[in-house]
Amino acid sequence: MKTIASRRRPLSPNIQIYRPQLTSVLSIVNRVTGVVLSAFAVFLVIWLSAAATGPQAFATVQSVIGSWIGQFLMIGGVFSFFMHLCGGIRHLFWDAGYGFHLRTIYASGWAVVIASFLLTGATWALSTYMAG
Amino acid sequence: MTEDKRSPFLIESSDQLPRVTVLKRFPLPRKLGVGKESRIGKGKRWPLPATAAARVKTFEIYRYDPDSGDNPVIDIFEIDLDDCGPMVLDALIWIKNKVDPTLTFRRSCREGVCGSCAMNIDGTNWLACTRYIAETDGSATIYPLSNLRIIKDLVPDLTHMFAQYSLIEPWLHSKAPAPERERLQSPAERAELDGYYECILCFCCTSGCPSHWWNGDRFLGPAALLHAYRWLIDSRDEATGERLDDLEDPFRLYRCHTILNCTRTCPKGLNPGKAIAEIKKMIVERTG
Amino acid sequence: MTAIALIPLTVWFLASVITLTGRDHAGVVTWLRTPSATICMVLLLVALFYHMALGLQVVIEDYVHSGARFPVLIAIRLGCFALAVTGIVVTLRISLGG
Ligand code: HEM
Ligand code: SF4
Ligand code: SF4
Ligand code: FES
Repeated sequence: MKTIASRRRPLSPNIQIYRPQLTSVLSIVNRVTGVVLSAFAVFLVIWLSAAATGPQAFATVQSVIGSWIGQFLMIGGVFSFFMHLCGGIRHLFWDAGYGFHLRTIYASGWAVVIASFLLTGATWALSTYMAG
Repeated sequence: MTEDKRSPFLIESSDQLPRVTVLKRFPLPRKLGVGKESRIGKGKRWPLPATAAARVKTFEIYRYDPDSGDNPVIDIFEIDLDDCGPMVLDALIWIKNKVDPTLTFRRSCREGVCGSCAMNIDGTNWLACTRYIAETDGSATIYPLSNLRIIKDLVPDLTHMFAQYSLIEPWLHSKAPAPERERLQSPAERAELDGYYECILCFCCTSGCPSHWWNGDRFLGPAALLHAYRWLIDSRDEATGERLDDLEDPFRLYRCHTILNCTRTCPKGLNPGKAIAEIKKMIVERTG
Repeated sequence: MTAIALIPLTVWFLASVITLTGRDHAGVVTWLRTPSATICMVLLLVALFYHMALGLQVVIEDYVHSGARFPVLIAIRLGCFALAVTGIVVTLRISLGG
């Protein structure tokens, strides 16, 4: 009996072994993109401040965005935005009590993924076109 | 078993297995956030008993012996498919009878109505008695239900989950004096409970809920909340207001982030995720 | 949960941010000076940081279980509030200032 009393029972593994499913993966993605977008929100304020400070500061910030890595981050940000937006809309349907059949859950899940890729692509094409 | 013709992308009911495996588990270090006492070691291999078998299958099974004082391990068992029944539970019983009598697990009905044999099979929670061996991976992995303190081998301590279940007071509350005869319910009122009363308290859902993993001490989890909903919508229950008061708490109810692992895993095909969303709606409608 | 009411707002205003993606130069300043854009931007900042504060609060409540939790929550609220205020002040400076 002593061993039992003196030893804490082990905890069975959870995330270490649980299978990733569309349900849990998209939920995590929604959270991660939410946090990523928070970082971009901070950047939005920096960008606005730069615009207010003057053309020079603004040019600096713009060149950061224009750089190779800046462009890459921007595309990532736009993708995060759409992912979070679509995921958010999906959440709103759930909050209203709709879309809880497993089939609907999976269909809307994939729709979110596909729509995010398409919208990111469209945004990218549009901004390249506008930038000339 | 007939060939599953349904799309591999659209899961239509919880008994459908994923047929495309990208990752069998999240790419995380196995020891991430795992306490010293819970680290899993390598166990032994139990070869087939002497007889030459034509069809051999391996099972990787979580073992923990509280008397030894050692950490849990994964043992590998070989079984003879021609000598064993079709279900995962049959395989466990076969091992217990023929290979290692100390293998410990819960089972009773062996037909999916008691909820005893819930465990993590190939990474998802299900009942061992209703999962075909043929539906498991080449080498099937069997763990106890996730995120629970283990008493022995595949037997988890469910005390906390049952305590959470009792917290929602799963019985009829009535203020009116008891009637002479039964409390009547119309067929329509009774039909409201369909999809909610069938829960067998196997806790596959709660133990597969990531939110319950991180905040299980305060979040009630899908099984208890499904039952809460079942009583909230019972036409005979008169404590709806009090029940909602008890649930309206940032942790008890609102730690559910609609991940929906619960609905995906429920071996009875129930929908705890929807029940929870309906409770949230009831609370909003009450105030608004 | 309470964020629900704010989400339609964010959707609308972030759509306006996308139109802006195409624009380069300090011509952005001219854009921000139009009254509609100013109002949109201010509302966006309010909704955005309110939503962000709530969202991050939930994340912290989920994962931080130590004593650090309370100070971090306060920090998030203050931080979001400060960012929103900075953003609004700056926007107004652009639109009102010479
Ligand atoms: C672009 C700026 C945005 C930022 C910085 C942001 C940030 C966040 C953060 C940090 C979370 C918490 C994540 C979590 O709890 O898992 C969150 C959750 C959420 N966001 Fe956003 N978000 C933004 C835009 C939007 C938009 C446009 C929508 C509208 C559809 C939206 C809908 C939601 C919803 C519904 C949740 C709750 C998810 C849940 O209940 O788990 N968000 N957001
Ligand atoms: S929907 Fe809610 S209860 Fe179900 S797994 Fe997700 S967080 Fe848990
Ligand atoms: S809701 Fe389903 S998974 Fe959850 S305890 Fe009940 S029967 Fe089991
Ligand atoms: S033994 Fe009863 S549910 Fe499996």
